[in-house]
Amino acid sequence: MRLKSAAATNLGRLVHWGLTTALHRNASQLPGRIALALDPQLIAHLRTKASKGSIVVCGTNGKTTTNNVLAASLEVAGMRVLCNRAGANMVAGVASALLPGGTADWAVMEADELSTIHILPQLRPTYLVLLNLFRDQLDRAGEIDHVQDTIVAALAASPETTLLVCGDDPLSMGVAVRAAQAGTKVLAFGMGEDLGLAPDRVPEARFCQTCGTELCYDYRSYAQLGKFFCPNCGFARPKLDFVATSVEVDRTGVSFGFSRADEPARTIHAGFGGVYMAYNLLAAAAAASLAGVDAARFQQALDGYHPDNGRLQHFVVDGREVVLNLAKNPTGFNQNLSLLLADDRPKAAFLVVNDNGNDGRDISWIWDVDFERLAGEEGVRRVIAGGHRANDVQVRLKYAGIGARMADSVAEALRQVADLPREFPLYVLTNYSALWPAKDELERLGERHG
Amino acid sequence: MGSKRSLRLVHLYPELLNLYGDSGNILVLRRRMEWRGISCEVEEVHTGDRPRFTDADIAFIGGGSDREQRIVCDYLLEVQHELSAFVEDGGVLGAVCGGYQLLGHSYLMGDEEVRGLSLVDLYTDRGSPRLIGNIAVKSRISPQPVVGYENHGGRTHLGPGVEPMGRVLYGFGNDGQTGEEGCLYKNVVGTYVHGPLLPKNPGVADHLIARALERRYGVVELEPLDDTEELAANKVMYDRLMEKQAKK
Repeated sequence: MRLKSAAATNLGRLVHWGLTTALHRNASQLPGRIALALDPQLIAHLRTKASKGSIVVCGTNGKTTTNNVLAASLEVAGMRVLCNRAGANMVAGVASALLPGGTADWAVMEADELSTIHILPQLRPTYLVLLNLFRDQLDRAGEIDHVQDTIVAALAASPETTLLVCGDDPLSMGVAVRAAQAGTKVLAFGMGEDLGLAPDRVPEARFCQTCGTELCYDYRSYAQLGKFFCPNCGFARPKLDFVATSVEVDRTGVSFGFSRADEPARTIHAGFGGVYMAYNLLAAAAAASLAGVDAARFQQALDGYHPDNGRLQHFVVDGREVVLNLAKNPTGFNQNLSLLLADDRPKAAFLVVNDNGNDGRDISWIWDVDFERLAGEEGVRRVIAGGHRANDVQVRLKYAGIGARMADSVAEALRQVADLPREFPLYVLTNYSALWPAKDELERLGERHG
Repeated sequence: MGSKRSLRLVHLYPELLNLYGDSGNILVLRRRMEWRGISCEVEEVHTGDRPRFTDADIAFIGGGSDREQRIVCDYLLEVQHELSAFVEDGGVLGAVCGGYQLLGHSYLMGDEEVRGLSLVDLYTDRGSPRLIGNIAVKSRISPQPVVGYENHGGRTHLGPGVEPMGRVLYGFGNDGQTGEEGCLYKNVVGTYVHGPLLPKNPGVADHLIARALERRYGVVELEPLDDTEELAANKVMYDRLMEKQAKK
């Protein structure tokens, strides 16, 4: 290691020690930021710490869960892993996660889609996992075309990286087709069958990525994901290298048969639900399998995996179940509404939308969420709006036919549903910056259940 | 009230121009008509369909990515004469963001100058940086300030005599220089306040509905609605922007 890198590394570690040990603060960003200021090529110099290689996980929805499940499975298999578990997924976060002393077998890093252009050329990962692309934070990320261009360019700058892509997503496949033309090796994962779920809205990508013709589907899982093909040109869901079959999805969990190429399927199951979770776990299982983790070890990791990041966490407050989940864009929100409606108990919902920088300041997207689905449901007994943009959520709900009150905290929302029987759960769905305060509140108010 | 009034709303290419929750505008127009007992027929014009404006009351164009905006422009150029006749006859046309740029003589896609629909005497070139953020506009078509969000690289220049929709109170507007935002021409409203323009600005929604009723049925009084939630959302954003302005 060059002198400058060594100095940068040591300084970063010192900052990490100072933050965590002396100040008891979160150290997911600052050590990397300081070390990068000293050595902008730091990631390139630290990449060799992971002797077997590295895996980068990106995609609009599901990065943190997929990345953390993958890292956990490698650890269960006895490997040493460097990982940005807290979800700090820009350059500084990745650099911070690479700093801790000692070598490792693998680096497993989630990356913000637009940060791939800075991370991939330096880290030169063995695999890039691309989960999905949805419209998200247009004010910051720009249009999806721009996100796609960025990932294609990042892959071009890291020719040894294999792309592990969701073959069911036309937008991710748009990236894969272009990357493959430029020489990137591509592997695909997807659903081997029709999941038979109620169709939701297709907010984007209704048209062929190559020729612009409206896409057709043999079956569709959710949003634009499914077995698609263009009736005009050859653009289509590719042959899958990793397949999920016999998929069972409900609000309490998912299970599916996982197979690599033509090998026999092994059942994978987890106690957290939603069709998007089936995709996340399929992606994680595929990446784990590429890193040499077998399905049994992967399952063992899942059994011991308890998310502590606000994603689908269950709490009990004064005898009432509270389900907390992240919902930060139309597709994420629509998936959450599906999950909520699959719960056959009468229930209440608290919908929280902030507009801080890390949420996206433009919340126009709430008009692309199908809140109308809640309006006709007898089981949805009360809906409450929250967050910095509670008023906008309230107006959105009014035009969906739902009269909603507002609350400025989870505690206040709970007070507003106090007259409902305790068997009725409260769903708290929040976007990014509202998630941690809600989680802190729930940890203070109640106890965690799963 | 006499026989039931009815308006026909033409939503142009919703699957292409839907970048920022544009469907919210159609929902708001429809509900605000229904709440007043006005029946509302929404015709979605899809790719491949040829839109008819002869019996239309309100036409709406949303915003899309550059690529999608170009496709829509090509489609609409084919029916330019009919659309122009509709506008000249006082037909109501709402156009936001990319749709607003299409109203003019030309706009830029990359460095290529693309011919627009020439419905209003304006043209759009480009500047740097993109103009992004919350916006508030004082406009004669709304009793409240018009609030929303803008995100555009284009700079739109109004021809002599074309009235802006209003004056920028916060944000950038047409070009970030003149303090003008949007355009008003006959019953056309064009604006960079993108996506869900109408939900928080019921005055603009009612302006469009009133103009359409007036054209079809003569002078009409719009029944007032309970806009408590809409006006609260409008005020919260307006107050926030004015507070930020004061700190600048």
